[in-house]
Amino acid sequence: MPRKLIGRRITRTEDPRLLTGQALFVDDVDLPGMLHVAFLRSDYAHARLRSIDVSAARQRPGVVAVYTAEDMGEAWQPGPPLVSPPPTVEDVLFNSRTQVPLVKDKVRHVGEPIAAVVAESRYIAEDAVEDIFVDLEPLDPVVDIEKALEPDSPLVHDDLESNLAAHLAQGKGDYEAARAQADLVVKRRIVIDRGAAAAMENRGIVAYWEKKSQQLTLWDTTQSPIPIRNGLASMFGLSEHQVRVIAPFIGGAFGPKIMMFYPEEVLLTWATLKLGRPLKWIEDRRENFFATTQERGQVHEAEMALSSEGRILGLRDVFLHDTGAYDPYGLTIPLNTQCHALGPYDIANYETELRVVFTNKTIVTPVRGAGRPQGVFIVERLLDVAAKELGIDRVEIRKRNFLPPEAFPYNHEIIDQAFAPLVLDSGNYAPVLEKAADMIGYHEFIQKEQPRLRAEGRHVGIGIVSFIETTGVGPYEGARVTVEASGRVNVATGVGTQGQGHFTSFAQIVAEQLGVDVRDVHLTTGDTAQFHWGTGTFASRGAVVAANAIHAASTTVRGKILKLASKVLEVPEEELELEDGMVRVADIPQQCISLGELATLANPLRGAVEPGTEPGLEATDYFGPQYGATANGAHAMIIEVDPETMMVEIKRYVSVEDCGTVLNPLILEGQIHGGVALGISNSFYEQLIYDENGQLLNASLMDYVLPTATEIPRMEIGHEETRSPLNPLGSKGAGEAGAIPVPSLFAQAVEDALSDYELEVLEMPLSPNRLFELMAQAKEKES
Amino acid sequence: VKLAGEFVFDGPREQVWDLVRDPEVLATALPGTQSMNQISESEYEGQMHVRVGPVSGVFAGRVLVSDEVPPESYTLSVEGRGAAGFGKGHGQVTLVALDDGKTLMQYEGDFQVGGKLAGVGQRMVETVARSMTRQGLESLNRALQARMAPEAEAEEMLAYQAPSEVEFATGVAKDLFAEFMSPEHETERLILTVALIAFLFGFLLGRGSR
Repeated sequence: MPRKLIGRRITRTEDPRLLTGQALFVDDVDLPGMLHVAFLRSDYAHARLRSIDVSAARQRPGVVAVYTAEDMGEAWQPGPPLVSPPPTVEDVLFNSRTQVPLVKDKVRHVGEPIAAVVAESRYIAEDAVEDIFVDLEPLDPVVDIEKALEPDSPLVHDDLESNLAAHLAQGKGDYEAARAQADLVVKRRIVIDRGAAAAMENRGIVAYWEKKSQQLTLWDTTQSPIPIRNGLASMFGLSEHQVRVIAPFIGGAFGPKIMMFYPEEVLLTWATLKLGRPLKWIEDRRENFFATTQERGQVHEAEMALSSEGRILGLRDVFLHDTGAYDPYGLTIPLNTQCHALGPYDIANYETELRVVFTNKTIVTPVRGAGRPQGVFIVERLLDVAAKELGIDRVEIRKRNFLPPEAFPYNHEIIDQAFAPLVLDSGNYAPVLEKAADMIGYHEFIQKEQPRLRAEGRHVGIGIVSFIETTGVGPYEGARVTVEASGRVNVATGVGTQGQGHFTSFAQIVAEQLGVDVRDVHLTTGDTAQFHWGTGTFASRGAVVAANAIHAASTTVRGKILKLASKVLEVPEEELELEDGMVRVADIPQQCISLGELATLANPLRGAVEPGTEPGLEATDYFGPQYGATANGAHAMIIEVDPETMMVEIKRYVSVEDCGTVLNPLILEGQIHGGVALGISNSFYEQLIYDENGQLLNASLMDYVLPTATEIPRMEIGHEETRSPLNPLGSKGAGEAGAIPVPSLFAQAVEDALSDYELEVLEMPLSPNRLFELMAQAKEKES
Repeated sequence: VKLAGEFVFDGPREQVWDLVRDPEVLATALPGTQSMNQISESEYEGQMHVRVGPVSGVFAGRVLVSDEVPPESYTLSVEGRGAAGFGKGHGQVTLVALDDGKTLMQYEGDFQVGGKLAGVGQRMVETVARSMTRQGLESLNRALQARMAPEAEAEEMLAYQAPSEVEFATGVAKDLFAEFMSPEHETERLILTVALIAFLFGFLLGRGSR
């Protein structure tokens, strides 16, 4: 048996490079003769483009070219939709309207690009942007998603009858019948607002069409290099092999970097093909607030029917989802919301209806969590309201409704984001929740500590929630594993990496199979010249889909090593072991051969390779799961609210996750830390504030509040392990898990801390101001 | 953003009317105004340098005077745009003759801003607008005094210059400060005081280095 490396806390092998500034990011790419691009972006949310005069900009010294939509001619096309609407549901309505490279007729959100300037430096390009005169006729903007559907609303897309982008209803059982039998029906209106992903590194592109070699190279901060390559090749009539897309190190992505094609990706490619010179565009922070996608805006009318024992008989949720000016990402987010509103619970009767709405705001595509936090918020909040009404403990009411461990695989009979039935592969929910309750001392806190602190006049509260996360969706990923003559192992996979620690966790899988040191495994991700089959890094799927492809390729290479070594050493394969970069005979360790020597033997310069064999110790394999693996978890926290300032201090935070086999606990914990930080931020800090004219009012890091280390608590992390039966490693994703339950947890804890005021938190995000208002309203109601 | 208020001019209504309809006076009264030309009976065109917090830039704009009832009232529509964004608004101005020979100006309006001005300057837009209005009206009143004064005195009075941009920015900062010193902002006060001082320093240094 190979020495266990999977599951070990190995420090990240990529960190020395990252921490010493030796890692390549897009902005580090500096090519001779490179030109710089700046965009003129609309200041208006909704306006008709009457004319553009770029003559002054073209005359500015140092300006090489200025482009408008007209200049692009036939190349100007709305982007292909990234995700098509679901074909498997009846009566689904979907109006596909995708983003354009440059505005031609109408501006649909602030920040939409209208013209591009190519110049010798970014400074000149920015100055030339100010030389452009653009005549825009302002139109009434569509901002509020509820008003957007009123009959007299202005239209984001003039060719549609309304601002309705999509409509889909699905469900199971008979909600009305369940409701009729219910002892309690709770109904609430729930509003969740937008936030940004706010990655530390903004987007950036370097595009270079090298005329003589007829090769297009694109360095791009994308989560999805292979589809970018394939798409650009087809858009511009090139062979896929003429296009190389490199997604080097990326300083955080969190979803928006899988959106494609961004206008800038198309424009820079088109322009380099025209100019034959390398072009660079690096998004600045202000552009990022307008031009990089955002998420979370939804308005729900949700209703839950329960028995007097607190069993959920049925759930109904009717909601609006804000997609912004275009809907390139199909229904992924609202479908996730529909699926996650069921939580880890056994809900036999479910009715869910979504309407996606166009607005004159930045495009919406998934941000870490991708509709899941909203769904979890719905079910957890309604359960909390019901628990209060029925006088049932919060932990108890959840346990009474969990799907039991013997229920898996469990088919929820509604479709998920992959347009396949939502089937939960595995899980054991009660121990996870119990562990979270134990770790935070839930009962002790409620029975002793809280009453004692309350007696001192302190507003302390506890929260505890459960959630699921669908992860690791298909279609597939692949990997190539090669043992080189040096004995080092080279691995290439198609998924890009944005800080998830792939270089270490993937290397552990290979090192375990091949008996080499983790540091002797060299990994390339996100370079289409190294590996050109795959889809990308999204939906918490790296540790499931890519990891299993790497596992499969490593296993095949292990087989090749053993076969060749058995021949060379004249020992049966069963008696061989791989360790320390050597193949040894188990009982006679001095009888051995190194992997490097074997690699050379497998790829001889002279002589003959046996017919039917392949040269080298190399294998390429793929993995595509039957359907996604579903992780789950429970989070708990203790907070204190300062009634003077309405600041919330998180005293303790506990996260218990079950994401199947843990590849590297250190990296998993890092993922949870980051996710929880975003969740806390979504709950109390980050909110994009649009005014009634569609102007974003806090488009800078002075006004848009990102939490810092002082706002994020130390987290206590526990694990449970229910292996996924859907893949050989038994892994499930965890990339988004941390962010998903936090808003519902935060709301519950705040209510608990302010229980004197009968406050209900039915919206996200909160802020000290908003909490003050809610408390004032609650006080008013009381008196 | 809503903007409403009152201001008392130390002079008779007819003179105030002439003053507020004189583009040259308006141009000097509003610091940062680089030009102001009358292009028709009721329309003015001009350029103005505006600074709102970290956002600054030249705005090219148009002012339209309508519904004129001399010397009682008129409606102002303003539209301006520049690299830092755009602003547009309209307002109703009424002049009331007071018994003591003074004139009460009442104004009420609404304006919106877009682009960088909204996205980055939002936090200060309202206060800056109020401050600009107050300071603009005060300089107009001083110009009125100068006009009304006898010849000899007038020279002395006219030697008084409309406030420079730095003086103006200092005025804005003072107004911002006064606003945050109000009781409801007690907790934010310390942080904002520090921020404001830093901002002022930055501004003055920035001006000085040009």
